[in-house]
Amino acid sequence: MALRDSADSHQVAPKARSGRFREVPTAGEQLETRVLLRHIDEPGLHRIEIYEQLGGYTALKRAFRDCEPGELVSEFEASGLRGRGGAGFSMGKKASFLPHGDMDKYLCCNADESEPGAFKDRELMFKNPHQLVEGVAIGAMAAGATRAFIFIRGEYAEVADRLDAAVAEAYEAGYLGAGVLGTKIDADIVVHRGAGAYICGEETALLDSLEGKRGNPRLKPPFPAIQGLYGGPTLINNVETLSNLPNIVNRGPDWFKSFGTEQSTGTKVVSVSGCVQRPGNYEIELGIPARDIIFGLAGGPLPGRTIKAWYPGGSSAPVLGPEELDLPYSFESLAEAGSMLGSGSIIVADDTISIPEMALRTARFYRHESCGKCSPCREGTNWTVKMLERVVRGEATPMDLDIIASVQENIIGNCLCVLGDSMAMPVGAMVRRWRGEFEETIARAREAGPAALDVEPAVMTPAGVGA
Amino acid sequence: MSGDSKPITIVVDGVEIEAAEGAMLVDAAKHGDVEIPVFCYEPKLGDPVGACRMCLVEIEGIPKLQTACSTPVRDGMVVYTQNDRVKEAQNAIVEFLLVNHPLDCPVCDKGGECPLQDIALGWGAGKSRVTDPKRHFQKPIPLSPLIRIDRERCIMCYRCVRFSQEVSEDEQLQLLDRGDRSYVGTHEDRPYIGPFHGNIIELCPVGALTSQSYRFRARPWDIEDAGSVCTLCPSQCNVKFTVRDEKVVRVLARDNEQVDDGWLCDKGRFGYQMLSSPDRPLTPQVGGGGSLEPASWEEALETAARGLAPAIGRTAAIVGGGASNEEGWLIQRLVRGVLGSRDVASTARRGLGRAARTRLASPELAVATADIDDAGAILVLGCDPMNEMPIVELRIRKAVRRSGAKLLVATERPTALDGGAAIGSAGCIGAQRYAPGEALDFIEGLRAAIASGDADDDAAGFADALRDDGPVVIVWGEGILAGADREQVAEALLGLADVLGLDGRDGAGLYEIPAATNGRGLREVGCAEESGPGYAATEPGRSADEIRAALEAGDLDAVILADVDPIRDFDDPEGWKRALSAAKFTLDISLLPGESGRAANVHLPAESHAEKEGTLTHPDGRLQRVRPSVPRPGAVRPLWQALSELSGLLGADPGAGTAGEVFDLIAAEVPFYAGITVDDIGGMGLRWQDRHGLEPAGELEAAEPPPAPATDGKLRLGTYTELWADHVAEDNPALRFLAVGQTLELGPDDAERLGLEHGQRVEVSADGRSLTATVGLRERMLAGTAFLARGTATDPAGVLAGATSIDVAPAPGPEPEPAVESSDADGEAEKRPEPAAPSLVVTKREPVSW
Repeated sequence: MALRDSADSHQVAPKARSGRFREVPTAGEQLETRVLLRHIDEPGLHRIEIYEQLGGYTALKRAFRDCEPGELVSEFEASGLRGRGGAGFSMGKKASFLPHGDMDKYLCCNADESEPGAFKDRELMFKNPHQLVEGVAIGAMAAGATRAFIFIRGEYAEVADRLDAAVAEAYEAGYLGAGVLGTKIDADIVVHRGAGAYICGEETALLDSLEGKRGNPRLKPPFPAIQGLYGGPTLINNVETLSNLPNIVNRGPDWFKSFGTEQSTGTKVVSVSGCVQRPGNYEIELGIPARDIIFGLAGGPLPGRTIKAWYPGGSSAPVLGPEELDLPYSFESLAEAGSMLGSGSIIVADDTISIPEMALRTARFYRHESCGKCSPCREGTNWTVKMLERVVRGEATPMDLDIIASVQENIIGNCLCVLGDSMAMPVGAMVRRWRGEFEETIARAREAGPAALDVEPAVMTPAGVGA
Repeated sequence: MSGDSKPITIVVDGVEIEAAEGAMLVDAAKHGDVEIPVFCYEPKLGDPVGACRMCLVEIEGIPKLQTACSTPVRDGMVVYTQNDRVKEAQNAIVEFLLVNHPLDCPVCDKGGECPLQDIALGWGAGKSRVTDPKRHFQKPIPLSPLIRIDRERCIMCYRCVRFSQEVSEDEQLQLLDRGDRSYVGTHEDRPYIGPFHGNIIELCPVGALTSQSYRFRARPWDIEDAGSVCTLCPSQCNVKFTVRDEKVVRVLARDNEQVDDGWLCDKGRFGYQMLSSPDRPLTPQVGGGGSLEPASWEEALETAARGLAPAIGRTAAIVGGGASNEEGWLIQRLVRGVLGSRDVASTARRGLGRAARTRLASPELAVATADIDDAGAILVLGCDPMNEMPIVELRIRKAVRRSGAKLLVATERPTALDGGAAIGSAGCIGAQRYAPGEALDFIEGLRAAIASGDADDDAAGFADALRDDGPVVIVWGEGILAGADREQVAEALLGLADVLGLDGRDGAGLYEIPAATNGRGLREVGCAEESGPGYAATEPGRSADEIRAALEAGDLDAVILADVDPIRDFDDPEGWKRALSAAKFTLDISLLPGESGRAANVHLPAESHAEKEGTLTHPDGRLQRVRPSVPRPGAVRPLWQALSELSGLLGADPGAGTAGEVFDLIAAEVPFYAGITVDDIGGMGLRWQDRHGLEPAGELEAAEPPPAPATDGKLRLGTYTELWADHVAEDNPALRFLAVGQTLELGPDDAERLGLEHGQRVEVSADGRSLTATVGLRERMLAGTAFLARGTATDPAGVLAGATSIDVAPAPGPEPEPAVESSDADGEAEKRPEPAAPSLVVTKREPVSW
């Protein structure tokens, strides 16, 4: 409970879009509950001595010296910690699926943070890399894995450098390597940089990529917990999930459960971006109203503007409207509202934003990032983009809107992984909810004539092959 | 799926179906006559990938639709494949697949036999809502000289890429780029060349990959399929000939899991153009001294009878490996029974005596081809499957990849399998070289190491890997028996089998790769120096080499050559030329006569493997039927009939009215074929070991091996079989680009020592004979060894027959063009301009060594 005093909190000073710093309203501070971000702006936190001074690596010592793997897994399960990467599956339960036995097991930390709107892991890793390293080591030990990989997206080069340095320091200090802290348990961490593909954040594609193959999702089952990296049982968790482990080990599952709601325990770092006054990462207790995050912490829309739509959990979450702003920000309430908390990335669109263009932009992202392995995603994303381009060019008819909606229905649930759904859910939600605006856009663009929008060519041909 | 899984019941669309537990739903449903459409699913390629999503079905208790291709059935599973929800999904997937697929069916070569057409019609909504432009590519462009790729038609089912990566393991095909920009291609647009790459044409469910030699030759309604067996190598793959207007225009695989696993090599797939070659004689010919004139069958057979009749006791026959059991048996009967001679050979070198041969052929020691799949360890001994029996190479790769079999390679010459070989426990590499002709030492050493259990040297590490819990299969090549120490090698091999406990163990044993297609069958029906039909005791006759010498010396007067060109294929071509000109009478029976055939007195036109009727015996003992698929062209007649008639003219008609009756005569004489009829053999074949045992004949005689030849510091010479070094590559326009010249293979160190460079022309000489070759450097060679290919069109290794060490000197004369050549696989004479891009550089490539 000690952490809950607001004096201990520290507001991350967000940059306004103009580049000037804004005053931080005091009201915002009380809305934040800083656990993961507690020392985030401590100078030199990325260095091991500062991290240790602030109590770092005590959890690792306890875990490796005094705990049995099964005991730790039970603690994680009891804490109710749910995956922070998007799916929200119970972390402890996932760890408990790993078979016992002598086979090579692995832990993979998914640091391929590529979802539009998400930038929480970047800050967690860049400013407090040791918290993650400690969490990964504990998680690996609990899973019975002696080898862990942190798969970080290639674009996070500086962050990866920091992680490399932190891992090296941890080896130096004996927290990693053969026989951690003189115990008989080994823990190795390899920081692996991805080559820049959103799909590699999908857990099985991440494994393929890590194995040196083309990053394509695998068929599930078998699930990675049974047959993952190099065919061995593999636990895959997000950066934020694993960063929570040291605190759970130190303070116990009951302490963790004292935050949040019954089904969404703990705190969550929320990345807020889009049309707000103070975009940035805010750590909140799960279950507080979304309005508090968007207005209280991020300052709400610019003066004179109103919120038109918001993605509650990254670009793959079905879009909500202003009516849903008072929903508690938790896994269960957002799911009930037909959307999802996802990775906890709120993107806000105000009344100046065109929903069809937002839909097109979203669809283009997923079309560009689709791996192409399964038909509904590969063709569905591409077809949707072409139809939405016709919408904004004024070359579509209302019937096309029906087709767009129906195509999204045909994608959802029929794909190999969730990438296709990730486009179909928000786009489908937008077409349903703002159909009138889509129709108006078509009519307006038709009147404005050609070249109303600069649209990239519909047909992309591979270099050297295309005619 | 394995046979021991217990039967369960599932309910598909309200109908109860019995299924094997663990079978994939899509397969199980077939037993209830329910077809679930698929594109990417192909069990031959390994585990399902669930990429195309065509097979989505509803399973009670699972909220999302599931892919039937990847869902193993469980007892009591209730499945819907035709309800509204599933239909909607199926319609959706078809619509998605057609978003970018051009509807150019009327001009597409696949039209009419296209799974996408069938599924779109059967499971699609009937119309598409797509009005946007589709993607475009330059098309169709060569993916290789044999395959054209039309990327617009590709539906990204991954089959071809998976074949390249997980079956042939050449890893040349890749899916490039991402998402809807994905396309199948090779690194830097290089041509895809590999000995198995033709299979991707057949795997393609759309018209994206088409055969250069078949495209636009026929429509599905113009053609008929006829099942037979390919006789171009010992693999004896089951094939389907596509026949149009009485001509073979395509060869497809006819899946037989027990033989070929559904794959074909490119030789079998594209080697059909020679059947309608303009060079093929279609009538008998009579003449001599190098000139032959067409004749009637009566005239030809009478001439032959007149030529052979005086040579009683002085006639020899050599039966080549492509001959059927019937042809082989009739010829040996003619020679032994009618002409009173004992000289019948079918191999270049003398074969084993009966004692060793019957022991090696023991059913207790035999494995079926499919047993390789489940082997715990595989020892490849003295053979290169890719060149000698290509489909077995795929089998071995499959066993290693999918079942984790340990692979060990012990050969004279590097193989493509080397890299996949296991690492022995003593740290030794699982691929070992022994010097040419020294298989005996290697086998003895290995046997001793296994027997002693010591684990302190290389052989022991190798041995340790063979002491596997799972069954051990030794895949060995007949080539190790080519030396004078063949009896000792056979005994050592039997000793190795003994110490490994292979005798009688299920799935463990010896698997021989014979030197020729029907090598085993010919041997079993009596085409061998040492034994008659069924390994019956007989007075030993002359071997091929001895026949040559006897002809030259005048000790033999006549010779019958069936499907063999000794001048090209056997040792000492000059000697054979002298022998054939010394012979008083030569009867040649061949499809495309070579130099030997052209020197004959009578030439009888042979049937091709698409025309003949008869049986073959697979290297694993499986009797297979070659069935007439196209009518015999011109005046070509069944050879069994002509041979019977010839026997009749000489006074002893065998009395068979059909090819099947000839087989009955064989079965009456070969004890282990007894009671087997052609109907029993059927379309899938029958292993005689499943019906009969084989008693060993006689006692093995202990003999001292001949002394090892002195090499006096020179390069030691080995010879090898090269897949494309025979007439098939030359007689099929599509394959001409693969024909090889003679290459002297050397290790880089030896080349440096001798001052030789890769690609340099050299003169290779020994004992006063010489040939010209191009230097080819190869890794993983044993130091001090060099290799030459047998059977090349020019400078075959046989020129240096018997030589064990060689001298190498730069060849005189100007440097010729590099060996790289390109060819128009269409077989059309005129040269077309090369496509602008990508440039086509044709090089031969082997599957990667892991």
